[in-house]
Amino acid sequence: MDLVELNRRVREAREAAEARGETFYPGPSRIHLAAFPPKERWSDWVELDSKAWPARVEKRFMLVPTTCFNCESACGLLAYVDKDTLQIRKFEGNPEHPGSRGRNCAKGPATLNQITDPDRILYPLKRSGSRGEGKWVRVTWDEALDDIAGRIRGAIRDGRANEIMYHVGRPGEDGFTERVLAAWGVDGHNTHTNVCSSGARAGYHYWLGLDRPSPDHANADVILLISSHLEAGHYFNPHAQRVIEAKQRGAKLIVLDTRLSNTATHADHWVAPHPGSEAAILLAIANDLIRRGRYDREFVRRWWNWQEYLACEHPGAPSTFDHFEGVLKTLYANYTFEFAAAESGVDEHVLRTIAEIVASAGPKLATHTWRSASAGNLGGWQVPRCLFLLNALLGAVATEGGTYPNAWNKFVPRPMYLPPHPPAWNELTWPREYPLAMNELSFLLPHLLKDGRGRLEVYFTRVYNPVWTNPDGFSWIEALTDERLVGLHVALTPTWNETAFFADYVLPMGHASERHDLHSYEQYDGQWIAFRQPVLRAARERLGEHIADSRQVNPGEVWEENEFWIELSWGIDPDGALGIRRFFESRQAPGRKLGIDEYYGFIFDHSVPRLPDRAAAEGLTPLGFMRRYGAFEIQKRIGPIYAAPVPQGELDDVRADRFGRVYTRAPAPPDPNIVPTGSPEPDAEGRRPVGVRVDGEILRGFPTPSGRLEFYSRTLAEWGWAENALPTYIRSHVHRDRLAPDQKVLISTFRLPVQIHTRSANAKWLDEIAHTNPLWIHPSDARELALRTGDLVRVETEIGYFVVKAWVTEGIRPGVVACSHHMGRWKVGDAGQRQMMATVALERNDRSWVMRRMEGVGPYPSPDPDTLKIWWTDVGVHQNLTFPVHPDPVSGQHCWHQAVRVRKAAAGERYGDIAVDTRRAAAAFREWLALTRGADDYSPDGTRRPYWLMRPLRPSKGAYRLPDRAQPARVGAE
Amino acid sequence: VELFRALAVLAESPGPGQVRIAATLGLPGTPDPPQHTELFALQLYPYASVYVGAEGMLGGEARDRVAGFWRALRRVPPHEPDHLTVLLALYAALAEHERDDRDPARRLLWGQSRKALLWEHLASWLFAYLHKLSAIAPPFYRAWGGLLAGALAAEIGAVGPAVTLPLHLRRAPPLPDPRTAGAGAFLRGLLAPVRSGIVLTRADLARAARDTGLGMRVGERRFILESLFGQDAGSTLAWLESEARAWVPAHLACERTAGDVARFWAERAEATAGLLAELRREPASPSQQYGSAGTDASAITL
Repeated sequence: MDLVELNRRVREAREAAEARGETFYPGPSRIHLAAFPPKERWSDWVELDSKAWPARVEKRFMLVPTTCFNCESACGLLAYVDKDTLQIRKFEGNPEHPGSRGRNCAKGPATLNQITDPDRILYPLKRSGSRGEGKWVRVTWDEALDDIAGRIRGAIRDGRANEIMYHVGRPGEDGFTERVLAAWGVDGHNTHTNVCSSGARAGYHYWLGLDRPSPDHANADVILLISSHLEAGHYFNPHAQRVIEAKQRGAKLIVLDTRLSNTATHADHWVAPHPGSEAAILLAIANDLIRRGRYDREFVRRWWNWQEYLACEHPGAPSTFDHFEGVLKTLYANYTFEFAAAESGVDEHVLRTIAEIVASAGPKLATHTWRSASAGNLGGWQVPRCLFLLNALLGAVATEGGTYPNAWNKFVPRPMYLPPHPPAWNELTWPREYPLAMNELSFLLPHLLKDGRGRLEVYFTRVYNPVWTNPDGFSWIEALTDERLVGLHVALTPTWNETAFFADYVLPMGHASERHDLHSYEQYDGQWIAFRQPVLRAARERLGEHIADSRQVNPGEVWEENEFWIELSWGIDPDGALGIRRFFESRQAPGRKLGIDEYYGFIFDHSVPRLPDRAAAEGLTPLGFMRRYGAFEIQKRIGPIYAAPVPQGELDDVRADRFGRVYTRAPAPPDPNIVPTGSPEPDAEGRRPVGVRVDGEILRGFPTPSGRLEFYSRTLAEWGWAENALPTYIRSHVHRDRLAPDQKVLISTFRLPVQIHTRSANAKWLDEIAHTNPLWIHPSDARELALRTGDLVRVETEIGYFVVKAWVTEGIRPGVVACSHHMGRWKVGDAGQRQMMATVALERNDRSWVMRRMEGVGPYPSPDPDTLKIWWTDVGVHQNLTFPVHPDPVSGQHCWHQAVRVRKAAAGERYGDIAVDTRRAAAAFREWLALTRGADDYSPDGTRRPYWLMRPLRPSKGAYRLPDRAQPARVGAE
Repeated sequence: VELFRALAVLAESPGPGQVRIAATLGLPGTPDPPQHTELFALQLYPYASVYVGAEGMLGGEARDRVAGFWRALRRVPPHEPDHLTVLLALYAALAEHERDDRDPARRLLWGQSRKALLWEHLASWLFAYLHKLSAIAPPFYRAWGGLLAGALAAEIGAVGPAVTLPLHLRRAPPLPDPRTAGAGAFLRGLLAPVRSGIVLTRADLARAARDTGLGMRVGERRFILESLFGQDAGSTLAWLESEARAWVPAHLACERTAGDVARFWAERAEATAGLLAELRREPASPSQQYGSAGTDASAITL
């Protein structure tokens, strides 16, 4: 054995592989032998039966991967299928999943609770009394489908396509249903995003042309987070584990959060500012970087659209970078640490300290904000804009340890069919007053309906619960119970919820292990896809059975959505005359329905680079590989795409505008990744934007109109918001100057890390951990109000009040109170979740509503013996009912923070009491509407909305034209 | 360096990358997933802490010592800092730093780090490990083990002998005597290689059952051992004694390369054989209980 010769052989083989662009060493396995069953034993894994202890009884399992559906992280799960009974016995992490890497939060394993929930909906139900009366009859799927399809067909044929609407909470999939609606030719997609993340999205979008960040936490030197997001919200598990890795390496974690969140407890520096002042702090840090010259000059010079800014805002001034730097120094000069300290209530020296840490990060600054500050405040969309300003100053953009745009760390494979953009514009979701809203004005729907702006013939709520989740739930009930406004309400849901109570059909849809979906999310600098699948289908197919329909393996008649939408689309267009059916037909067997295997098989065969080769190396088809492992990493280390030279083949008849935006006649090369991005417009002669000229080179740039990072947004300036075109600080609606002396700020947007919104209701393990939402109040405020922990307090909002228990804690800033939105589930009658829904009485007197809690939860007999062990009675209070709508006039985001009065509950006021006057809610809607600058008055080009901005289910370009500028939409007397 | 990295990768669950590397090295056949699982997940766990830890299990102080080594190098300890793969990969990285660093002082430090890693966390257990592997592994992994042993010896030749016995070995307590420490501690000690000087895999215990004609009860190793003692303590002691005696020359076979480390292991095996012989010669019946004050409640009957 000649070791020298072997060394040489290995080195040469490695060099040859690397020359081909391949990775030679697979790297340390992500599979820890001590923690995960080896994948080659997934078909026959033996464990001792814990329930048989102390006897040693062996159980044999088949391990089938799927994807968690309990938040949007899409973490990998491994279902343990008992080979004797073919039942799922537990869920653990999937070590083959590149995002979650075998780890899960509490919500993943609790999928077992959901699929075995004794209160879940197992069969299609149709209401038999009046809407909301609580009377239901079981119907067949065919009956439901015939009725729904007939109504949709009628609406489309009669030119009432805008009366069809699909309202989704967490999509949990990459565009399947959007494409269904596009196939129908309907602009009926409605998301929850404007009560969630559109404020944050807007801030990022104006900078990057992409609406989400992808921080490379694991490699950062400094991590700066606004709000509790990472330990309690989106991407909790995949991001949190990487944040902790960075901390172990010595990275500093700074958290700005008014409340001591779980994330804040891990911080090196927890900063608790007055709500809404976050942007002031960020700009003070930016000012410090600028003033002291600690920013990356070259990066700013090359990649900011400073020339466009000077040309638009300083015409006649020299278009030189030196001049811009001079201007830049003045722009933020007023944002001193003294100013930020006065606004935020945080000591000046603390701000200086964190500014120094941020400055020390250089290009290894990972930043993130999603909800809280962005979602709580008027002008909250400027918080991410100011946060990303720090990245843009330090050049920490798409660097190792920096912050990427999401689309570069995400992969949405091109499907078999891409239906055209619908030729319609739905003003119920995209009203003209909000031309720049990042997402649908979903939470205004009851007001817009009552205002006479339209009606709905068929309204789907899908895994979404607007009555409970949205602000102003009583206005939702008023709209949903008015059959003139909503002709048919179909609730697609695995479990009962407050909105489903007001449906006409309740159709049971599958949980994480009962449905197919495909997804990809930005969680590190890489691209991956993960495959959700009905576990028992995959298990039985491994045993040689053929499963044609997920209802064959799911409990009761629970269906999966993919199959449901295909079936419904055939029902709408049975003979193909409407041109819909063709998008749901098999290519292998023309004229027959598209099957799930064919649908996903096509994607995996044709649209996922390297997957076919990887599968073939294991003797599997690509679909077989995904069914076997559940996830596939397409690429690691994407790097700074913006700095890549545009290939010569894409440059034909090139033109550049005066700021260096480069256009080409060459068609875009086919791309299997259809991840949504901004779509800057072509030049006047129809050339497409392809890159940007930087120091003489044509580089790819960003998907913004200028091709650069847009420090200055001409879009905002041209659409009426010139004063907000730069990253700036907007005083919140809960700014201290706007509060009456006896008012406090209520923070309501934080989560309980183990709960899941609507779908967690009967997850018994989670419910036992977290089941109530007391009002956080600082000891100094409690003293003033003579409150102790456990006392009842009445919290008064603009439109009503709720009564909740106090929790006196130093974990909240004085003058601010906080109550988690995750709790307070309720039901009126017997139907519902008995582990987490209080039984309430609803009283309505015209538009005055009162809710009284009649009974908490308690033990009850069911097929699950654990339901007899329920020891908790309190399930919290539904505060969102008492919040009016607060749409931000730019982003459209509902601004959740509330100015409230808090006092000790009076005699006769009981826990859980809620009272609301929806007339006052309507007045609040009109007050905020008056803040808008609508397209009718401000559109610079006669369109409803800048075409380049991202939009779910983007309509055809013609639909962007304003129909009649002489008759702008007006708000009536609701 | 390249060889160490390649050998490290082959201790991982086989995939296409491993197949390619195996072919490059000219190993017989290809890495087979079931064989890999059988060897590394069920028989010979490739973690230093199992072999040099006083508990004979994953983790504990031994793993902390390895993690401390990573930290001393200003590196974040990986999730499993004592896994053979990451240790070999770390060795390759240190050797590369030593080769590439232009600063002579730093190069010297890299060299010292490399030597420390080699002696403290690799050579301290790998020769015993690879000896057992050569006995039970299928041909592909046996060849891999042979290559690794050769590479290890070559590196030792390159860096020179250790100045002191590795800390893991210096801190390793001896095998407890069941007459004073109790049978539970004795059984745990037998299964802790650094205390007993022997490596007992599941396959070895199955062989023990065959050799002694006793019934093999499936379970984890201590459970198997207990059941063998429960059936016939005398035969089991005798079998273990002969096993320990066989380990003495096995350890000494690499004395020229591993020096004090080999002698340490041989002495431990010899002491174990001696204790077992003494216990076997005790006049007590097979049902005698070796428990005493201070033993755990699960002291069993030998």
